[in-house]
Amino acid sequence: MEEAAAAAEAVVVTPGEVLGKASQVRAGRGAYVAPHNNLVYASLTGFRRTLSPPPNSPDQRPTVEVTGHKAHGAVPEPGSVVIARVTRVTARVASADIMCVGPKSVREKFTGSIRTWAGGSIFGEEEVSLAIKKMNGDKAPGSYGFDIAFLPKMLRSGQSRGEVAIGLLCKRQQDVRATEIDKVDMHLSFRPGDIIRAVVLSLGDARAYYLSTAKNELGVVSAESTAGETMVPISWTEMQCPLTGQIEQRKVAKVGG
Amino acid sequence: MAGKPGTTPTTYSPSPTTQKTRRPIFNENDVDWVRPDGRGFHQCRPAFFRTGAVNAASGSAYAEFGNTKVIVSVFGPRESKKAMMYSDIGRLNCSVSHTTFATPVRGQGSEHKDFSSMLHKSLEGAIILETFPKTTVDVFALVLESGGSDLPVVISCASLALADAGILMHDLVASVSLSCLGKNLVIDPILEEESYQDGGLLITCMPSRYEVTQLTVTGEWSTPKINEGMQLCLDACSKLAKIMRSCLKEATSTSQE
Repeated sequence: MEEAAAAAEAVVVTPGEVLGKASQVRAGRGAYVAPHNNLVYASLTGFRRTLSPPPNSPDQRPTVEVTGHKAHGAVPEPGSVVIARVTRVTARVASADIMCVGPKSVREKFTGSIRTWAGGSIFGEEEVSLAIKKMNGDKAPGSYGFDIAFLPKMLRSGQSRGEVAIGLLCKRQQDVRATEIDKVDMHLSFRPGDIIRAVVLSLGDARAYYLSTAKNELGVVSAESTAGETMVPISWTEMQCPLTGQIEQRKVAKVGG
Repeated sequence: MAGKPGTTPTTYSPSPTTQKTRRPIFNENDVDWVRPDGRGFHQCRPAFFRTGAVNAASGSAYAEFGNTKVIVSVFGPRESKKAMMYSDIGRLNCSVSHTTFATPVRGQGSEHKDFSSMLHKSLEGAIILETFPKTTVDVFALVLESGGSDLPVVISCASLALADAGILMHDLVASVSLSCLGKNLVIDPILEEESYQDGGLLITCMPSRYEVTQLTVTGEWSTPKINEGMQLCLDACSKLAKIMRSCLKEATSTSQE
């Protein structure tokens, strides 16, 4: 990790102040380049900092950025990890209210949705591969038309066949017929009121951001049982109520480690 | 009405107007207008700005120019209403309203629709909308006391509130208006001067980039007067911007301590 020789000057800049020429400095956070005169202006109110460039990059201009005395509140962006509360669960879509983006909480909630047909939105590829490898193959053939043991063999046999196997189970649209899509039941993964950790896939549509829980560390973080107690996770698909001992199905997030 | 072939159809047209102009309030022989508050013609009122006036809002500012007092709150970026279509740039929503006690005669505190749309036009050029796709920034301006030149004060105060909220902007926006009384150009008019004006000019500009975001001309103007008026206003805008920047810097350094 290269040392950013951040010369933290206590110079306050306001939007529209010139920070330098585009030929000499690069615009970082809180700054932008005006195309018509190639000057770098500040776009935020804050303290001006200059970061030296990484030694191996071809572009040796220092980066100038304005670190927010006050940056605007958190907004979900593709790739950011969010904490959300599930509001509605139907067979194919789970709606959630995004409450935190990264470490910051939002002032007003944003709406997100987790959808099954987006391909591996709930269970990710590594999780499915792990599950397949553990299978023994002594079960009856499913509606795929072949013995389930075929899948681990496909995985071991090579890259492309393994991908088809994962695609079948992860419901990628190009690999699966339309009738196969609803194999994953939302109600076995989330219930209304659960707190989940998810990653933002994209800006989504006008109504909601598209979220995904397709990694080990994503999924239900905290849930209440029907008895009202906070449940304890016992596996990656089950949680148990400490009061009644009842086991409920959830897609559990792997916390820590 | 079938006309004979070859004849032009009769249409209504008004007779050319002669001497139908408004009787000028200031004749050539009249004594020059003396400003009630003792200012020179090219002297603006002392400006007072304070940011962070409203705790509930993401950003806010209060401005007091003589008797014109305005408070602006900015909320956002927050989720757009569900009815809105998807947009990959941000949206700006402005609303200007007067309190019931703002005018000398008590009025109804309803939203001023044309001020709102003019505020929108002046600000949308300055905000970098691409940085918050799909979300909305709401600007609510409230005129507490209307002492003349309301809209320019609202615009300048709104841009300070946006900077306080941490919304990325190309530059601060400063706005000044000017009245033509007979042959005199009077800058930053009060309510009485605005009611006597022959023509009004409002300029909103981004002083650091020397770009105008809005220009509104009303009434009777001759070309040399417009040129002179614009130069006066642009000069006043750059001086006003200096005051705005020092207010922001002071707010930043006091909050650091």
